[in-house]
This record gives sequence, C-alpha cells and structure tokens, in this order.
Amino acid sequence: MSFASKMPSLRIDQSDLKCKNGCDYFGNPQWQGYCSKCHREQMMRQRRAEKASTNPSATLPKPEQKKPERGLKLSSHSSFSKFEEKRLRQSETLKKANLLKFSVFKKSSSDDHDHTPEKRPPEFKIPAMVFEGMKHDFRARFPALAPQVDRDARVFVHSFIMDVIKCANVMTVDELSERVQRQYQRFMKHMDTSPHFGNVDSDTKELLLDFVEKHAMTYLHELPSVVFSPSGTDDERLDRAMSERIQQLSWVGERHLECKLDRNSAACRQLLYKAISELLGMDSAMSPGGKLARVRRCCRHVLALCGAPASADDLLPALIFTVLKANPPRLVSNINFVTRFCNAQRLMTGEGGYYFTNLCCAVSFIENLTAESLNMDKKEFDCYMAMPASIGGSAWAAALSLCGCAREAEEQLAAAQALLREARDVQAQAQAVHDNAATFEEQIVKKVQDVLSKTPLEIKPRRELPQFGKFKSSAKPLIDLEPSVVPKETNPEPSDQALAQTGTSVQQPLIDYKDPPIDHKETEAEQPRIDSRVPIALPAPPLTTKDQKEQQILTVDTSSTEPEKLNILGFEVIDRPSPKSPQNLDQNWDLKQTSSLELLTPSLLGFTPFDSRSIDELMTPDEFVSDHLAPGLSNINYDIDLSDFSGDNSLAEDAPKAKDPFSPDGIKKFDPFAPQPSTFAETLEKFNEFSLVDAKTNRPYDPFEIVHRNTDPFSAGLAVTLPQQTTDPFSPQQKEGTSILDDNNSPTAACLLPSPLLPQSSGKPA
Amino acid sequence: MSGATNGSYNFKVVLLGEGCVGKTSILLRYIEDKFNDKHLTTLQATFLNKKININGKRINLSIWDTAGQEKFHALGPIYYRNSNGAILVYDITDEDSFGKVKNWVKELKKMLGSDIVLVIAGNKVDLEHERTVPLEEAESYANMVGAKHFYTSAKLNQGVEDLFLELTREMTERHDRNAQADVSRTSRVLVVEDEAPAPSSCCSGAKHN
Repeated sequence: MSFASKMPSLRIDQSDLKCKNGCDYFGNPQWQGYCSKCHREQMMRQRRAEKASTNPSATLPKPEQKKPERGLKLSSHSSFSKFEEKRLRQSETLKKANLLKFSVFKKSSSDDHDHTPEKRPPEFKIPAMVFEGMKHDFRARFPALAPQVDRDARVFVHSFIMDVIKCANVMTVDELSERVQRQYQRFMKHMDTSPHFGNVDSDTKELLLDFVEKHAMTYLHELPSVVFSPSGTDDERLDRAMSERIQQLSWVGERHLECKLDRNSAACRQLLYKAISELLGMDSAMSPGGKLARVRRCCRHVLALCGAPASADDLLPALIFTVLKANPPRLVSNINFVTRFCNAQRLMTGEGGYYFTNLCCAVSFIENLTAESLNMDKKEFDCYMAMPASIGGSAWAAALSLCGCAREAEEQLAAAQALLREARDVQAQAQAVHDNAATFEEQIVKKVQDVLSKTPLEIKPRRELPQFGKFKSSAKPLIDLEPSVVPKETNPEPSDQALAQTGTSVQQPLIDYKDPPIDHKETEAEQPRIDSRVPIALPAPPLTTKDQKEQQILTVDTSSTEPEKLNILGFEVIDRPSPKSPQNLDQNWDLKQTSSLELLTPSLLGFTPFDSRSIDELMTPDEFVSDHLAPGLSNINYDIDLSDFSGDNSLAEDAPKAKDPFSPDGIKKFDPFAPQPSTFAETLEKFNEFSLVDAKTNRPYDPFEIVHRNTDPFSAGLAVTLPQQTTDPFSPQQKEGTSILDDNNSPTAACLLPSPLLPQSSGKPA
Repeated sequence: MSGATNGSYNFKVVLLGEGCVGKTSILLRYIEDKFNDKHLTTLQATFLNKKININGKRINLSIWDTAGQEKFHALGPIYYRNSNGAILVYDITDEDSFGKVKNWVKELKKMLGSDIVLVIAGNKVDLEHERTVPLEEAESYANMVGAKHFYTSAKLNQGVEDLFLELTREMTERHDRNAQADVSRTSRVLVVEDEAPAPSSCCSGAKHN
C-alpha cells in the first residue's frame, strides 16, 4: 500500500522492488509489494483476522488501494497486472464462496450479513422518514383514533425494528420469524390491555396491527438480507432455480393442466394479462400485507377467468397456469418472506391468506411437476423438457403480448377520450364565456338605455354644458401639470372614458362633447352617448374615490348604477345651495353641486388670494344676487350657453323658470365676459384652450381652483347657464374657451362637474 | 391455528375431498344458502368467512375450499396446515370418494394429531337410490376415527347447517380444552414434545391464552 506511494516517477529504485517485508526476494506490485511467500502469509493473516472479526472489509480496501498503483504503473505493466489482479481476486472470492456454497448473490449477502455486527449497533438509526410516513399514514387511515394510539404504534414499530435488526445477526431465519410473530402478539396484547385502546373495536385493532406490520416491514424489507431473502437461506438460489424451472415449463399449456381457458377469447386474455401483472407486482410490494394484497387481486382475476362459481378445483390449475406464464421474479423469496414475517393470524384466516396458500400450492406443484401430474406420457414430457426454453409456449406468449398491446391501446384510447372530454369542457366554457360576454353587452346596452331613459335626451341641447366638459378637459390638463393632483384626476378620467366607451384621450372627448352634442342633439343615437358621458362626468371630478372607480371599471353594471348613486348624492347636497333649480333638474344638479360644495369649502379656505380676481368678479354677481353660487355659475354659463343653445330655447326656458332669480344675474355677468372669451376661443378653441389654461394661470391655481371653485361656479353656473343658453345661442363655444382662460378659477373647477349635470338637468325638465 | 382474542374465536376449516363430490356446493349452501345446479352465479366459492354466535361466543369461521384433483393431493399439507377443523366430503354414490376420505383421515391424523376436528360428510343424499357407500360402513368408520358423520345434500339443503354447527361447537370445545391444557402444560413443556411440527403456531396459540 505504501509501496504504491513510493513510485511517483518512472525511476524505480532497486530497493523499491524488494519485498516489503524486508526479505531478500523481490516484491511484486500485484502482491502489494510483497514477495510471493510473504504475500501468502499476509493473506492468511488477513483472512484469519477477517474471520475473527467477521469483517471482510479487509478484502474490500485492497482493490481500491490497487487502483492508484495501477494508475502509476507503466502501460506495459498494466495488462499483465490487471490480469494478475483479476485472477487473484477471483481466487479469493472463490475461496470465500466455497465456504458459503458458491453463489454470486450469496456472496454479497453474506458480506452484508457479516457487516452487520460491526456496523449497525454503533451507527444504526431508523431514519425519521419512517416515522414521518407513519404519522402521515396514520392520520389518513385512522383519523378517529387518539394520538396516543398513534404514538404507541410508532413506539412499537421502533422497538420492533430495532429488535429485529439486533436479532437478525445472531438468529436463524426461523428463530427470527418466531420472534417477529411474538412481536405481533405482543402488540396485540398491548392493544387489549392498554387503556388507550379501550374504545377501539377489534376490527380496528386488526387494522392497526396490519398498519404496524406494514410500516415496520416496509422498512426492514429495504435492508439487504435481513428479512427479505435473508442471509443463511437458499432463497436466492431457489429463486433462480424456480425461474429456470418455469422457463423450462413454458410449453405447458391450459390443455395439460385441464383448465378451461380460451386463448382466442379476448376477455380471457385480458383477465390473464391482469392476473399476471398483479403477480409480477408482488415483488415490488414492500410489506407482507402489500404482497398479500397483490396475490389476492391476482387470484380474483384468475377466479374470473375460471368462470363462476369457481371452486378451488378450478382455481388452482388456473393459478398454476398463471404462474407459469408470469414467471414472477424472486418468487420463492417473496413467498418465504410473507410466510415468515406476515402476521400468522392473518395468513391463516384471511382471504389473502387463502389465496397466498393457493399460490404456495401452485409453486409447490410446479416444483414437483412430473409427467404424471400433467397426465402425459413420460417420454413426451422428457421430450418437452429437453426442448430449449425459447421454443415453447410461443402461442400463449404471442397471445399475451397481444394482450399487452391491446392494453396499451386501451390506455391510449382512455387517455384520448379523457383529452376529448377535456377539450369539450374547454369548448363549453368558451361558449359560456362567449354567452356571458354577449349578455354582458346586452346588459350594458340596456343599462345605458335605462340611464338614458331616466335622464331625458332633451338635455342635450343644453349640452352647451358640454362646454363644462371642455372645462373639465381643460381642468384635467391643469391637474396633470401638478404632479400630486394629476394621478387622482387622471385615473378617474380613463375609467370614465372606458365606461363611456370613448377611445379618445381625455381632451378629445371633451372637445367632442362640445361639437357633436350640439350637432346631434336631435338624434337619439347621440343621446345615449351623452347620457353615458354624464355619469362619466360625475365620477370624473376628484371627489369620487378610487374604489368606486375601480368597481365601475370591473363591472359595467355596477358602474352604471354607481354613477347614478353618485348623482343622487350630489343632488342632495346640491339641493341646499341651489334651491332654485327645479326638482327634476335637482337630481342632476345635486350631484354636481354636492361635489361642488365639498370642493368649495376647502377652496374657500385655501385659495382666497388666488381667487381674488374671480371672487371680485363673482362678487359683483353676488351683489346682484344674494348667493355666491349664482355669480360663479354665471361665469361658467357664458361658455356653455353660447355654444349649445340656439335650438334649446324651450329647455332653456324651463330651466330659467326654476332659476329665474339667478338667471338675470348670470346674464348680466355673462355679457361682459362673453366678448373676451370669444376672442380667445376663436383662436385657441380646443387645443388652445388646454394649452392656454395650463400655461397661464392654471398651474398654481388649478389644483386649488378645481376644488374650490367647482362648487361656486357650478352652482352658480348651473343656475346661470340656463338663462344664458336662451340668450346667447352661438357664443358659448367661444365663451367656453374664453371663460377658461379668463377665469381660471371658476371655469376649471366648475366645468368638470356642472357640464354633464347641466345637460341632464335641463333634459329632465324638458 | 386458532386465535381467541377478547372472547372471539378464529377457526380455520378446510374442505377436503375428491373432485366433484360437492365441496363447493356445500360451502355455497352454507354461506349463501344457495344451490346452483348450473353453476351460474358469479360468486366465488373458494374461500368464505362466516361469523356465528354459539353460547355467546363470537366465532369467525374461515372456510377454505381445496382442489380435489388427484394430482393436487400432494398439496394437501399446505392447505390444511394450522387448521382447526376439516370437513371430509365424499359422494355416497361414489365408492372411490369414500376411499379418498379414508386417506385424508389417515394423513390428517398423522400430520396434525388430535388438534384437528374431523367431520365426515356423505353428500348427495338426494341421490339415495344410487348409493354405493353403505351407511353402516361410513358411520362405523367415523366412530372409529373419532369423527362425526353427517349426511348432507347441498341441493336439498339437508344437514349442511347441522354439519357446520356441530363442527364449530366441537372446535370451540377442543379449543377451550387445549387452552386449559396449555396452562398446565406450559409448566412441563419439555416433557410433552410428542407433536409439535409447527412451533410458531403452537407458540402463538399458547401466547393468546
């Protein structure tokens, strides 16, 4: 071993070639640097030590240590050394194997077995996973049982596993099996005596025992050579022998066993195929209970295969046939495992036990199968047995492979059908969504129409108030300029737009209001648009909360209703300031006014200096009319009235009636202002208005103005507008722009709120 | 193998007999009270569980049918290992089947000693006119081996209930006796080592009690 490390270079010292023991003979790398004699002695010593400690690990490190050695060696050496190494190792294993009866698998198992005494006690610990799994399983299977039961079960499984592992090395398999059975009985007794299990009925106790058995054995099953094909048994050899035997008997058909199977029947083939796959699955089940369950399912298929009512006379031959065709892996090991470590009580009395017994019989029958047992001539039998295994049983093998294909096809078909179903579901859902969308649209249209019908179209002529819309638009940009105010206002606007289904930007719709409403006042189709905009206009003011807006966006229905509510709220507030407006109009007015009122109160406090101009202006109207509102409105009204209301004389008349006291004031005010705005408006109109507003006064004022003056101008504006409309038919458009420009305070705030309101209000009375 | 946990008994009973003597029919008749001339039912009749109450004792019978063909005769021990009772069925119209019963009795006595309760059933008494097995011979043989003898007809539902009832009673009795014997025997376990081929079963049985 150290020998290897001494050969880092190509230079080989004479001394390096000598035997490591220091005798004068040359050493050989294949013998770990010993001469042949010393090596043999060394090997003997090692083996003795190995046997004494029952630790074969000494043999294992050797190949590992040889590896570096080999790597360092010259390539010319390597072939020879490899061969030597192989031969040596082989002889070693052969010797070992001789002790244990030659068997490739046996060797590994014996190794593991030998390891156990050294390895396990110090380091062995049951992985926590086992108990986690138990906890989980317990909750799933016995939700009604007390937690102490769960704990008891786990404690028992722990002691059980530890006990088995401790005993596995010192006991023969039969002793171990007996001990395991005693453990089962111990647990059963514990369940009978422990108070925890007082209210557990006997059936559940059986289940608990199965549960415990399952978890303990599942873990133990994974440990090599402890319970499954344990060391010291012939299980593995018998497995192979059985497998070969079955292969040899592959020519045995249903005819020989006198079972009534029809190879040509698809159903029969399917059942046989299922039975075989269950039988093959037995090897993959980890616990005795699981293996028994597999056998049980297998036998049920076999029984179905036999026809009804199947008796044991039918079952056994068919089962033998199934086993022959299945050739299950590790059959003997599995059977022995179940026989030894399954709870004996169940194995003796349960249905699984019965079928398992039948399986044992089948295996036993196959083992001892002779010509007589098949009712055939000895010579013929020998002839068959001499036949290479690959020839026999081709018919059934073909049938079964067909079966496999058919089964696969079936699965594919099932999968395809599942997909188809899914696709149909998706389609149905898509249709539902489509329908939903359609009804949704209808509802929206209906709602819109409802709103329209509630708010008469006649208001449109007064759309002069759309000028207010312009104001709004102008106000919005103003808001935009200021960072803090902008988001709030902008947010509502898009939502409003969406509701109104206007794709244009905020400014544009405002503009649109002005022109189209005027033009289309007469047409009903346009009316809905206006109406829809009316609710929009209401939410547009900063007053509406974001939540409300969001709701509106989310559901059109709600949105349509909400705006109305808003309107109503507004009406209430507005009524107080403007009693003059007619009741019909009041609702719309109220909405606007409420918002305006709220705005007003803050505005008054904060912005008196800025507003001084406007206030002064307003003051004059106020003086004329007792209410402040009236003058403010009058300013706004100029714009609106002029634009809208050549044709709406009748409407205007209605409105004025209610607002008579204000109207004169407003008119008086309007006249002086009108000319000024008209000049500005002509030049600027839509775009100019916005820009002008923004640039001049609005940046500082706008936020404030919007809030404050909305109220004042609106209330006043509403009142005043009506009279103005009557008076100034064409001027309003121009005036709108002018008003915005001139009186930033009053128009900006006022425009947004009142503009929509005014048309509505005016419409109602009409 | 028997288990008596909290007053309930578990008994395993095997049905032995030549093929076509009516084992399965008897079983079906007892469990389902059905007889099927044409064997049309979908029921499987190879393994059946029956819970009965005798004198307040809850008894769970597991009845195992066995394959009766001659070629499977060698598998008998696997079937009747650890059973508490055996029902040996023969066909009164078939002399050979009665001879087969004699073989079974011998074998059972040899393998299980007196632990197992034997009942001999002469089936198909509805075919009395074709009887080939003399009534006296059958009964005297049964007496000789310490077995009860019944005449049954699965078709006419004669004697089947009695057969199982008597068997169960006998097994319960035997079990209780053995349980008492076990108590006394445990003290001198070393002495009584005459029959104990299946140590695990004996131990487990003893442990229960």
